[in-house]
This record gives sequence, C-alpha cells and structure tokens, in this order.
Amino acid sequence: MSALIEIKGLTKKYRLGQEIIIALDNVDLTIEEGEFLCILGTSGSGKSTLLHIMAGLERATKGEVLLRGVSLTKMKEKKMAGFRRKYLGFIFQSYNLIPSMTALENVALPLVFDGVNKKARFKRSCEILVQLGLQHRLKNKPTEMSGGQQQRVSIARALVNNPKIVFADEPTGNLDSKTTEEIMKLLKEKVNKTGVTLIMVTHDLELANYGDRVISMRDGKITKIVNNKEGCRDEKKAE
Amino acid sequence: MNKLDLLKLARQNLWRRKLRTILTVLGVLIGTTSIVVMLSLGIGLRESQRKSMESWGSLTMIRVQQGMAFDNEGNPLGEAKRLNDEAVAEIKAIEGVIAVSPAYDVGGEARLGRKRGGLQLIGIDPEVMDQLEFKAEQGRLLKKGDRNVIVVGSQVIYQFHDESERRKMERGMMMYEDPRSRQQKDPAEMLDQRLSMIMQNGPEKKKNYNFMVVGILEGERNEHSYQAYAPIDDIKKMRDFTRGGSTQRGIGGSGREAVLLARSGKTVAAKKGSSSRDTANDYSFILVRTGKVEQTREVSKTIKDKGYNCWSMADSLEGIEKTSRTVQAVLGGIGAITLLVAALGITNTMIMSIYERTKEIGIMKVIGATFTDIHTLFLAEAGMIGFIGGLFGLGLSYGVSKIINHLFQNYLNRGMPAEEMMSISLIPSWLALFALLFSVVIGLVAGLYPAHRAVRLSPIRAIRNE
Repeated sequence: MSALIEIKGLTKKYRLGQEIIIALDNVDLTIEEGEFLCILGTSGSGKSTLLHIMAGLERATKGEVLLRGVSLTKMKEKKMAGFRRKYLGFIFQSYNLIPSMTALENVALPLVFDGVNKKARFKRSCEILVQLGLQHRLKNKPTEMSGGQQQRVSIARALVNNPKIVFADEPTGNLDSKTTEEIMKLLKEKVNKTGVTLIMVTHDLELANYGDRVISMRDGKITKIVNNKEGCRDEKKAE
Repeated sequence: MNKLDLLKLARQNLWRRKLRTILTVLGVLIGTTSIVVMLSLGIGLRESQRKSMESWGSLTMIRVQQGMAFDNEGNPLGEAKRLNDEAVAEIKAIEGVIAVSPAYDVGGEARLGRKRGGLQLIGIDPEVMDQLEFKAEQGRLLKKGDRNVIVVGSQVIYQFHDESERRKMERGMMMYEDPRSRQQKDPAEMLDQRLSMIMQNGPEKKKNYNFMVVGILEGERNEHSYQAYAPIDDIKKMRDFTRGGSTQRGIGGSGREAVLLARSGKTVAAKKGSSSRDTANDYSFILVRTGKVEQTREVSKTIKDKGYNCWSMADSLEGIEKTSRTVQAVLGGIGAITLLVAALGITNTMIMSIYERTKEIGIMKVIGATFTDIHTLFLAEAGMIGFIGGLFGLGLSYGVSKIINHLFQNYLNRGMPAEEMMSISLIPSWLALFALLFSVVIGLVAGLYPAHRAVRLSPIRAIRNE
C-alpha cells in the first residue's frame, strides 16, 4: 500500500466572537490507499474539520494536505470542484439528498455536473442503485423512503463517479442499530471490493472498530492511532 | 456542465414552486405587455401620421407663399418678401433644391362637354412638372412648349355635373359627392376632352379659355386631387384678364420670363427697379422640390431665413414627430417602471429561493458543482422567468394591440379605403424582438445578485447537520 494522503502540520483556527478556537492543532497524518480509516472523537474534537479540509470544503489556516503529492490546500476553487467531482465521494449523517429529485436523479447529479450525457449517467446510476438493493426505489423521492434507504441512495451517489476516496461524516448517526449494522457492512464490503479509500468520522467507538485504522482525536490533536488490520491490535500512542 | 442539463435543472427548480414562479412570471408579463403596448401606441401614432401626411402631399415639396415668415413664437422674421422672378432665382440657388416653379392660380367655372363645375386651375412651369413629384396615372404631364393643355387631378371629374344632376342637387336629392354618381364616373373619361374655363372681368365681360385634357394625375387623396394644372403663361393671361389687363402696364415680367430665369438660376438685377414697386404681377406661390426628404426641413428653414413665408409637409411632420416622441417616451417610461417592479420581483423570488435551497446549494457544491455552475444555474432560472414572462407578455401585447385597434377602428378609419386603414397600436418586429431580449436581460440582471449570493454560500455551513 502506498500513501494516498499526507497531512503535514495542519492547523485550523476559528474566530468565534472574541475567542479564537483552535479546531486543528498541528496535525500530521498519512492515509494509505484502499484503507478504511475511522476518525473517532467527541463533538468539538476537530474530526469534522479535518474531514472538511481533506475534502477541500474548508481552508486550512496553516499546513498542507497532499494527495499523491498534489497540494489540496493550495488548489483553486474551480479546480477543487472538478477534483471533488472526479475523485471524491461524500456521505452525510442527514443524507443530504435533494428533496425534489428522485433516487435516480439524486445519484446521477454528480455526473450532471461532470457533463456526462443523460443516457450514460442514468445507466451508471441505475447499476449502482441495483447493486445497493434499491431497484424498486429508483423513481421515489427521498421523502418516500426510509432512513436506511435514503442513506443507501446517498452511498450510491458517493460511489457513482468511481471515486478514489469516500468521506463519510457520521453516516449512521440518524439510523437505528439494525440499519446501522447493515450500512456499516455495506460500506466495509464496498471498500474491500472496489479498493476505494474510506474515511469515516464518528463519535461511536463501536462503529469506529469497523475501520482498518482508528484515529482518536481530542481538542484538535490526534491522541491515539489503533491498527485493526490483520487482527493485530498494536496500540500506538501518538506523540 | 452541459447547457441542456442546466436549462432542464433550472426549469425543474422553477417548477417546484409553481405558484411563486407563476406570480413572478406574471409580474414580468405585465411589465413587458405594458412596455410593448405603450411603445406600440407611440409607434402607431407616428406611423399613421406619417402615412396620412404622405398621402396628402409629398415630403420633398415646399410651397413658398406670399406674406411674412414667422418664427415659432409668432414674431415676424424680417420683411415680407415679394414672390417675383428674383425670389424664384434666389430659391433656385439654395443647396438641395432640384426644381422650382412659380405658380399662378385662378379659380372659376368650367365646362366639360355638357357638364359644368367649379375648378381651381394652377399655372406652373410645364418643363419642370415631372420634377415636381407629379405623376400621371393616364395620359401625360405638361411638357415644354405646351399651350392650352391641362392635366387634371383624379377627383376633378366629380366636380362636374350635368343639368339633371344639378337640379337634383338643388332639390337636395343628391349629395354634392354622391357615391352613386361616383361609380358612374371614371376619371379617364376626361382624357382628350375639351375643358373651357369661363373667366369674368366685370359684370358683362366674359371670356372662354379652352384647354385640352392631356393627363390625369395619380392619387385620390392628395393635394393635387381636386386641382388642374396648366402652363403658367396660359394662366397668367387668364389672370391678367380678370384683373382688367394688368399686362398693359408691362411691369414685372411675364411668366415665361420667370420660367427662363428660374431655369438659368440667374439673379434678376436688371428688373429690380421696376418689380419692387408693383406687386400685381407677383406669383401666387412658388413650388420647390428638394432632392431628399431629409433636406426638405433644411431648405425650408433657409427659405424662411431669407424672409419668405413657406410651408411644407415635412415641417408639420417634424412637430408631430417631436410630439409623438414625447408621447412615446412618457408611455415607454410608464411601461419601464412596471418592468422595473417586475425585475425587483424576480430578485426577491430568487433570494427567497436561495434561502430555501441553501442546503441544496451546499450539496451541489460538495458533489462537484463549480462556482460557475451555481452562478449559471441561478442566472438561468432568473433569465428563464424573464424569458417566459417576456414571451407571454408579447403574446398578450399582440392581443391587447388588436383589441385597441379594433375598438378605435370605427373611430379612426370611418370610410377609409382598406389600404389606407390606420392602426393606433403597431408592434413592429424589432419591437417584439427587443421586448423579448429586454425581458431576458432584465431577468438576468435581476438574478445577478442572488446568483452571487448563492456562489458565496459556504458549503459547510449549508450542509451542517441541523
């Protein structure tokens, strides 16, 4: 496995009224290609901020994110959008589907922005929805589906462009335990099958253990990295 | 992003909020309609005025009359100049003038076979008649060397009536211009007929002047229609006879001389002394023809500046055009205000839409929409509102315009022949195109700010879990 993402000295500061909040404090991290990485932390630990900066949705105050040696932190917005379109996928806690569109249209939307023609994008979207067991829900609007189904649509949308990296922000936060298990298994399976790199943010230790590696964060710092891969549980304290 | 997809997406977004979109479109529709209808009224007004003026007389003709010239406030401009050979030469020398003819007019009773009628006869220089915008419908115009021939307007024949008709008219059984008698008469009947004009000098002295009709003039409703034209020398003789032989005094030059002088364009220094004392031989008026419609006003102004009193259709048209431009500006302004309000409506709608769709915009950004995509999407939505409003507004405008024309039809065009029907509201194709384009531009401009706002939305804040 080779390093896909390298994070060097990443710092993010917010101003909240008079106070300056340090969301990320000089974070260093390397993410391997094809791994399932979980970022574990309580709310306010900086885990979501880290995710957003890696995805180019937020700008870092200091430091750098390199994807295969290309700096994302210095990339222009327009290029970044294209980059997201081609290489990244997103899954959110609240699904974030567009309410006016059907499941199929929602999944096809990233391809619309990519300029893929109608026939090709619906074919591809259909395929992936069928793979996720939603063949009977193609024409349904999000409001006509259960939470689990909506999240599957959202996963389909994240995977439709065959991304290199999928970011998942508390993907099971709104789901019951049974559906959560289903979704997590689905994600894990996708990672193993397609070799996509999945970076998931959660506050739930149990869910985090689905990951190949678990990174614990607190107050903008990485406090612990646990490697679950190949059964070995060699805990390593981050310096 | 594909353009077609973009438009589809924009349409889909608009259709989601049907009522709101329809109401906003309605605003643009009303705005466009009011602007188009208002402008169409102004255009219709100007067109119908131009048309009626053109039908009454040529826009390249100027008539120099006796008397003083006055400026717009009614103050006399210099002394009244006499219409003599000097004047003809002076006017001939003005740049832009291509033909000048002095003219005498006489009126009286005339006979045409067994019929009698009143006739106004104008003597002009036969040689320049074809240059003075006269056109013969039948026969020919006057030409050089003509004597005792006459060219008549197309309506002259209706002024002649035989005994039975006259009796009927006296008893009130027939209108002076009875449509039935109209049908029985053809202007061409007059061609090659002998027409005699009876001139009187005192109660007992009468003299007949005979003319051969050689041509019928074109046009039923212009200034020539009810008049007849003959060579100026013939008319001068008739005029001298009625005035008790003013020729005997032999001052002021004959019509023929005037014609020669006008043609040569020379000044008449030799005659100056005598002609300034006696006005008896002054011409009734002088006809001037300019090369182009645009020159007419200028020439007319020059003639006025020289102290002559002149009149041209173009002058009147200028005043009317000025008025109708003002009317148009006022009406257009009212329409523009309506459209401005509609534009505010579009902006308002789009801003509301952004509030509603904040999350959606965030999602689109996250999944790879560029700033340009978002910007274009919102502009497309605003432009679409403008376009649809403009399109339907234009349709409505045509309807309203038709209704207006229909309502005023009887009032405006009573008894007019079909080809001279006037429209009070006129929508030329450039106006239709302009309206459509304008409403789209208004939509786009109204959408600029909302689109800018949508672009600036932070995707993180937009999708933040509630």
